[in-house]
Amino acid sequence: MTLKLTRRSVLAAGTATLFTPAILRAQDGDIAVGSLTPNTGGGGPFGPNITASHKRVADAANAMGGILGRQIRLFQENSETNPETAVRAAEKLISVNGVNAILGTWSSSVTLGIMPRCQSANVIQMCTSSSSDIPVADEKGLVFNFQPLSPIWGRAIGNLVKERGIENYALMALNNDFTRSMMDGFIEIVGTDTLLVEPFFYNPQQASYRSEVTQLIADDPQAVFIPSYVTDFTAVYKELFRQGYEGTVITTSLATGPQFKEAIGDAAEGIIHGFPVPAINSPAYKEYLGEVGLEDTGDVQHPFGTAGRDQMTTLLLAIEKAGATDGPTVAKAIWDVTTGEGGTTVYNLADGLEALRAGEEINYSGASGSIEFDEEGMVLGRDFQLSEIQGGDDVVIQRLEF
Amino acid sequence: MSAYLISMATYAGFFMILALALNLQWGLTGMVNFGIAGFYALGAYASGLLSAKAGWPLGIAMPAAVLAGFLAGGLVALLSIRLREDFLAIVTLGVGEMIRLIVLNEDQITEGPRGLRIEAQPFHAAVGPENYPLFYLCLVAVFVTITYFICERIRTAPLGRTLRAIREDDVVAGVLGKDVFRHRVQIFAIGGGFMGLAGALYAHYVQNISPDVFLPMVAMFVWMSVIVGGAGNNRGLLIGAGTVIMFLEGTRFIGDAVPRLDAEKMSALRIIIIGLLLIVTIRVRPRGLVPEPKFAFEPTRDAGQPARSTP
Repeated sequence: MTLKLTRRSVLAAGTATLFTPAILRAQDGDIAVGSLTPNTGGGGPFGPNITASHKRVADAANAMGGILGRQIRLFQENSETNPETAVRAAEKLISVNGVNAILGTWSSSVTLGIMPRCQSANVIQMCTSSSSDIPVADEKGLVFNFQPLSPIWGRAIGNLVKERGIENYALMALNNDFTRSMMDGFIEIVGTDTLLVEPFFYNPQQASYRSEVTQLIADDPQAVFIPSYVTDFTAVYKELFRQGYEGTVITTSLATGPQFKEAIGDAAEGIIHGFPVPAINSPAYKEYLGEVGLEDTGDVQHPFGTAGRDQMTTLLLAIEKAGATDGPTVAKAIWDVTTGEGGTTVYNLADGLEALRAGEEINYSGASGSIEFDEEGMVLGRDFQLSEIQGGDDVVIQRLEF
Repeated sequence: MSAYLISMATYAGFFMILALALNLQWGLTGMVNFGIAGFYALGAYASGLLSAKAGWPLGIAMPAAVLAGFLAGGLVALLSIRLREDFLAIVTLGVGEMIRLIVLNEDQITEGPRGLRIEAQPFHAAVGPENYPLFYLCLVAVFVTITYFICERIRTAPLGRTLRAIREDDVVAGVLGKDVFRHRVQIFAIGGGFMGLAGALYAHYVQNISPDVFLPMVAMFVWMSVIVGGAGNNRGLLIGAGTVIMFLEGTRFIGDAVPRLDAEKMSALRIIIIGLLLIVTIRVRPRGLVPEPKFAFEPTRDAGQPARSTP
């Protein structure tokens, strides 16, 4: 079977391709918002929750008659946790769909990768990334980060483990920006004197981490701190176990999810891990669980899904407050609806819109935290929690609340 | 919309240069190169670092990237003295990963996983931001054209025949007195130079590069461009690279057209569709969309005469 490829058929196909997207543009009057989440790849376990939250809030807004009397049209794209793909997806969202904001980027390399394009098009970015380069690269003040920068993670974990009376450590981190800056924050707190070996980095996706682990535990430290993700930490931890390490293992909670516990089983006993958590006592978090249809177990569920809800809610409230949809104006209004004293505290979009329309000042307090931004658009004060794996479950041992 | 098409055409341009380079190495000379992402990264980082960190003007930084790719290509080809086919494939894959890991770990120089920000863009001040995307597309198109003509010239020249002979059977080519090794190094270096060029163009276009961009997946897309377009045929490759970008990007619009599909399912579905489209294309046109003339079927007018070979 062969297909005849003539000049005419190529021309026809080309013309058809050119015209298809015209049908897909947002109707005039709709407010176009982009969601660019890691639905596959390294962020695959988290992306779907984030984008589902974006959709849920957008649908709710539309059911209430929209924002500024206009419907919200959400365009969802997959970043594949890969900056190479993400820049093209962002290009489509900006040029074809005409979005004024791109929400939900997760990996720092994706957030930074699409930033030059977003800045030049005055598009707001809302992310859960941790690289300390983000505020530096954001020259126009259009980027809002819903997750603390990773040095803050490192400092919080450092403070929490220091209280446990551990005297010396050995450190190694996955070689990426997130984990490297976390290690710096940790060292700031515990001090370089407590380190038995020079901290070092390991590369992702290695078949074996034998030499790295041997180097790490050479001087038999009381505790090792290994900032990492789940795939590499699983391999590293297996090696630690094989080499019979008996001290305390400390890492991020991102590395010790259900996937890790399933792979490691009983050997996971005693691992200590921490990360910023949703404010599980806040009304917004309880509302979120209701919206998703989860039971309130007192445990942390959907750490990034909650942030997704807050991103979309914040954006829509800011658009309502600003009375405009262009990036720079809305960006200024984002501080007005989230940060500062005096406003009425609201926990969801409906209450926020009602208060705004009644002419009140509001302060949105979200499901992932109280949502206050510093002048660089980085979130302040999220609860931080340290847990220990006991009997196959996470048991909360300490909690820092803001 | 037109901004989007301009941007996608620019990306297709990067792929076209890479595909032409790979065609030179593999389609014409039969040297497997799975390390394309490495040469691409080398070009991107060479030009990016020289302009962003050393402050060199782009007029020197971008040619330096081509030179870096050229030299690296030549060096890798030296390894091929005793390696060919699948062994060369493994070596090049290794080299590509090595380059990426060096970029990742030498963070004092390359900024490592943080990614390198590149402000400089060729002729940005002269053209102005308004028309810049279109200008860049034209710039890339010019380089694609130059690359195409060089590749086409090599293919139709006597050198092209020698290279095809090396591809079909290097021992025979050697027995006929051709310097097989010298030709291999030559072609691999030229191909490497083109890949470096593509990298430099990419880096100054996106203005933010990190090691994550240069995963072996990029090499696979370029291979798909060559296979879909028709290995050995330069014109086919241009169509192949365009087709692959169209598959990768066109599938995004399915999600917009069917809003009922949830984003998670859509993401998985899109990747499946890309795979299916590629399989179907290869099934329908096993030798690519535009096959190498050698394989195109030409009925002979006179059954008594053997079919004439085409250039």
